[in-house]
Amino acid sequence: MTGALSNEPLWYQLLIAVIKASVLMGALLGVTGWLVLAERKIIAWLQGRPGPNRAGPMGLFQPVADVLKLLTKEESIPPFVNKILFIAAPAIITITAMVSYAIIPWGPNPVWGAISNLNLGVLLFLALSSLGVYSIVLAGWSSNSKYAVLGGLRATAQMISYELSLSMALLAAVMMAGTLNFQLIVEAQRPFWFILLQPLGFFIFFVSAIAESRRTPFDLPEAENELVAGFHTEYSAMKFALFFLGEYMGVILLSGIMATVYLGGYQGPILPGPVWMILKIAVLFFVFVWIRATYPRFRYDHLMQIGWKWLIPLAVLNLIITAVLCLTFPNLVPNAIH
Amino acid sequence: MAQNILFYLAAVMAVATTSMVVITRNAVYAVLYLIMSLFAVALVFLSLNAPFLALVEIIVYAGAIMVLFLFVVMMLNLQGQRGDEATKRPTRRQMIVPGALALLLLILIVVSLSAGTPAATNAALSDPKLLGELLFTKHYLGVKLSGIILLIGTIGGLHIGRGGSIPSTMEKPIDDVTH
Amino acid sequence: MGPIGLQHYLVLGAILFVLGVIGIVSRKNAVGILISIELMLNAANINLIAFSRYSNKPIFPTTMPEAAYMDGQVFAIFVIILAACEAAVALAIILNLFNMFGTIEVDDADTMRG
Repeated sequence: MTGALSNEPLWYQLLIAVIKASVLMGALLGVTGWLVLAERKIIAWLQGRPGPNRAGPMGLFQPVADVLKLLTKEESIPPFVNKILFIAAPAIITITAMVSYAIIPWGPNPVWGAISNLNLGVLLFLALSSLGVYSIVLAGWSSNSKYAVLGGLRATAQMISYELSLSMALLAAVMMAGTLNFQLIVEAQRPFWFILLQPLGFFIFFVSAIAESRRTPFDLPEAENELVAGFHTEYSAMKFALFFLGEYMGVILLSGIMATVYLGGYQGPILPGPVWMILKIAVLFFVFVWIRATYPRFRYDHLMQIGWKWLIPLAVLNLIITAVLCLTFPNLVPNAIH
Repeated sequence: MAQNILFYLAAVMAVATTSMVVITRNAVYAVLYLIMSLFAVALVFLSLNAPFLALVEIIVYAGAIMVLFLFVVMMLNLQGQRGDEATKRPTRRQMIVPGALALLLLILIVVSLSAGTPAATNAALSDPKLLGELLFTKHYLGVKLSGIILLIGTIGGLHIGRGGSIPSTMEKPIDDVTH
Repeated sequence: MGPIGLQHYLVLGAILFVLGVIGIVSRKNAVGILISIELMLNAANINLIAFSRYSNKPIFPTTMPEAAYMDGQVFAIFVIILAACEAAVALAIILNLFNMFGTIEVDDADTMRG
């Protein structure tokens, strides 16, 4: 099923995949800490305050201090929890987010291409993102405490609702590209980036992505002034850090998917592919933070209404428009199935 | 050879997890084992050269339907409905039909395994494009019918679920949540 | 270990199906019964896809020879759709059951008055 390297022997392909995966994972784990810092700094800047500035110059060593604190903290498992599921829950969200990175292409050639250039990449992404829900459900249920269960229930309802609009928005882009392979989707954007052909789809995807990653204004599952911390109320130390890591990896992953599907992926003038990819992800991450700093939290019934009464009908409309567009202007999207 | 390994791995996993679904008395554990069983079945599909179906199985079954199950079980758990249940001992009369069925299938297993093993006669194509074409040309009527069924399911679920509000979630103390 | 043939898959499907039947018979919990039904549908799916992999000739004549052997996969998709509908409606019924009787044990729900 792998495309680019299929002429090489199996062990060689495996070796390459392992090397690429370890480099990517190392980079991601290293970068996440500083992303947290970046987010705090950006929010501070938008709100006119200095932000973290004690550890190192401009607070640059703050992540190091945070990680050390989380690692050396006492690992406490409350006596009333279901132990196996309590420990498994934070692992699930991190693993599903990490595995999803295997399908994002970072450049045109095999060296920078996706670790696993699957023909069904889009479906794999959807499958993994739908499995991430279990982490939250199980964390909420196994914690066996009021706030955690409420947060878990809210998060489940929210994530399965917004997943529908997310996948339908993605489907319209797939229709234009005529493939489920992310690398080919990028190649299909040679003439126009899909954000130009699919502005509505991009908007729907972005809103759903914020809801999927449970960030403000859709952070009801962990609304601290009503639910303490939602599903991860009972978690501490490294297990809490895993939830944190999972959330940030999810945000970068969704930014990466958006950059790949709507913003032309690794394409761009002068600079090499991976640099463009990182730039696009950085811009999208900034917008995520910007929205977080700007909008107040939605009310729960509003959240459900936005999902079911606005985004999903809009996504269906977008699908119909895309289908008509593909049939009437075959030159605009040469790769679409006619 | 790869198919052999994949098949046996998936089959053992499927049978083991499915047995646990039936054995375990805790509704939440049953749902979780069922999810694992669905993964195993997806692996079986993969060994049959049907990766599209394998992923659809995970997305639709494990990703959507099972979340719904877990959601309902959690909600009932909250309201003091115990997740555990006593084993219902089936009466002898109730065991006749499953017993006969099992016997029949046992005979089938013995007969079929003693027969030769014909190899796969076609490399079942895994191209989703082709599957889509087939779906929207030859099986067009089926697609329309399943659309209608989905609509009926939506309306039915809405109508049934609408009647009578669920009693307040937090009436019972949380200690009643069972494992 | 010889090559994997059609009957290996059929046997696996049969085992899973029987486990589903046992689940339906031995459970009182409405959710448990629903879970067992899903198990049986899955077993049927394995059979359908196995048949599509090992079939010799297309079931119906078709204009698309290259897709002739994928009918089983299409049926499996239909089965999954059915399972989704069935689960949604059945879970709504179970919630209603709980509202009316305060339990989801099917044996306790024995009044006919609405």
